[in-house]
Amino acid sequence: MSFYDYANLTGNDAMQYLRAAGVTLYITLMSLLIGTILGVVLGLIRCSKNKVISILPLILIEPLRNSPLVTQLFLIFYGLPIIGGIMLDPFPAAILALSLNTAAFMAVLVHNSVSAIPQGQWEAGLALGHSRGSTFIHVISRQALRLLVPQAITLYISQLQCSSLVALIGIMDLTKLGQNLALRTLKPFLIYGIVFLIYYVISSPLSRLAKSLEKKLSFHY
Amino acid sequence: MYKLNFNFLERYGDMLLDGMKMTVIIVAWCLVIGLVLGTVMALLKQSKVRILRIFATVYVDILRNTPFLVQLFFFFYGLPALGIQTDAMATAVIALGINTSAQNCEIIRSGLLAVKKDYYECSGALGYTKMQTLWYFVLPISFRLAFKSLVNNFINLVLTSSVCFSITVVETMGAAKIIVGRTSRPFEIYLMILLCYCVFTYIISFIAKLVDRKIHIVL
Amino acid sequence: MSMIEVKNVTKSFGDLTVLKDFSVDFNQEGVTVLLGPSGTGKSTLLRCINGLETIDGGDIIVNGLSVKEKKNLRQIRLDCGMVFQRTVLFPHLNVMQNLTMSPIKLLKMNKKEAEEKAVLYLKKVGLESKAKAMHNELSGGEQQRIAIARALMMNPKALLLDEVTSALDPEMTSEVLKILETLAQEGVCMLCVTHEMQFAKHVASRIIFMDKGIAAADETAENFFSVVRKENERIAKFLQFIGE
Repeated sequence: MSFYDYANLTGNDAMQYLRAAGVTLYITLMSLLIGTILGVVLGLIRCSKNKVISILPLILIEPLRNSPLVTQLFLIFYGLPIIGGIMLDPFPAAILALSLNTAAFMAVLVHNSVSAIPQGQWEAGLALGHSRGSTFIHVISRQALRLLVPQAITLYISQLQCSSLVALIGIMDLTKLGQNLALRTLKPFLIYGIVFLIYYVISSPLSRLAKSLEKKLSFHY
Repeated sequence: MYKLNFNFLERYGDMLLDGMKMTVIIVAWCLVIGLVLGTVMALLKQSKVRILRIFATVYVDILRNTPFLVQLFFFFYGLPALGIQTDAMATAVIALGINTSAQNCEIIRSGLLAVKKDYYECSGALGYTKMQTLWYFVLPISFRLAFKSLVNNFINLVLTSSVCFSITVVETMGAAKIIVGRTSRPFEIYLMILLCYCVFTYIISFIAKLVDRKIHIVL
Repeated sequence: MSMIEVKNVTKSFGDLTVLKDFSVDFNQEGVTVLLGPSGTGKSTLLRCINGLETIDGGDIIVNGLSVKEKKNLRQIRLDCGMVFQRTVLFPHLNVMQNLTMSPIKLLKMNKKEAEEKAVLYLKKVGLESKAKAMHNELSGGEQQRIAIARALMMNPKALLLDEVTSALDPEMTSEVLKILETLAQEGVCMLCVTHEMQFAKHVASRIIFMDKGIAAADETAENFFSVVRKENERIAKFLQFIGE
């Protein structure tokens, strides 16, 4: 293989792009799934009537929201093994860090959406003879969901982009592949052009969806 | 049971402080670039000239839909390929400033849209030119309306700046990484950095709240 | 030479012609009231004089300057202060700053002088206690009074008032009209669009009745309310309708 070939993109590189995109999607989707479930749970605990219980999740949420994701990732990937004595592979570490981060933001969104529902809606439900739980499920949650969905999509988009940070612990995702190929081919514009395009193709439709849902689902009291 | 050990602070405390100073410098530059460029883009988006509108829309759209880390690498490897030689620090400021401007653009724009026609007419009738109206009334009002969201963006900017170590800038996170390499105390160091960022963002939020109380307006 | 000369002005919005070959002169004296049914171009006329709307045909000369020249607009707007139905005070400035900003920035008046002048005008509109207030701490009527003071701060040769009371409830309306009456007695030249007949009767020196884009009557106030209303059926109907 001559240098000329080496410096060019090959069919094999195209496959690598696909694989790397797969890695990015896999990590993003896994952590969004786990993060959403955990976030909803934390968010609902935040909505609890008991003041003490309701502030408990903040212990987890606040540091996660107010520090860089990359620091969290490094703390988990490099720090946990030392105190826990277990080696974490990059993949589980990445998914753990992204999930926790997603959960923190999700919890706030859930809490805000539920808090945004006027007290009158609760009273109406209770007055009709529903229990608090039943009022929540039948009256509150549906309205809160309409507020939540567009914001959650926006969060998902941002987390997709944050997933690029896993390249920094050696995972061969789109970002890492771009860096490798750019160094090999010395054609940063072409290589990163393709990387941008792939991210854009995944992210842009979601952005549009979030915008249109926001308009569609919004309502006034 | 693992024992936490913060002895590294004695030897490497200064290095961490230097890193934090670097973070502050980067963030300060990007704040200015982000606000100025973000305002320009928001104004271009309402320009009467179609090509300017399209340019601003594409600019914001691409920057908001791609990861900052990739943008950072793009500038880091791309600028030299164009024959522009800069150091890592300048590259980081450019990349992060541009990224911030795209995030700010949407917020400033919604502020601009909230300033209704009445204000333009009143200032016009008083004898202000279009530029004066923009400078004395429209921008001050828009910024006050958008202040809270801009602060959120600023906090994001602070957190995102930690990524700049990946192109060899020795800011807070970069310093932490070097110290980890020399002391093998990753847990303590990253935990400490994490808490430092928390303190930093809380201070920003606190100051922002005080400022907001002063400049808050209702239309 | 008249201060404002409106010469054969035509103005339409789409298919709707609001001013049709309209001509009128205003001297810098007294209070002129523009009356007429809604949609007959009264407000549009004021807005055209101030250059807020561009005219389709004819010309308007203010103090020797044509509104058709863009570069004249600024001087014209300094010559004619204008207050709207929905005037806005600038929300990021308090009352005092609202009053002093324009003289300072546009007339290069120094701050102290501007503030002294502002106190004078605040007294005139009866709101000297509100100098530090923000716009949302004022009632609609108070906001209009401040807006009038703000316009006067610029020493305009004439004041254009576009239905300044029609967004206010009766109590506030009367407090604003009282201010305008005082100003009229002091000789401020005003050009008002209003539906307040009592005000027109007492304060106006000249009444122009506009109908379908033309001036159906242009009389002294006295003449208008005694002679013309009997001769002109349309005016009689209008006055009856408006409850005069």
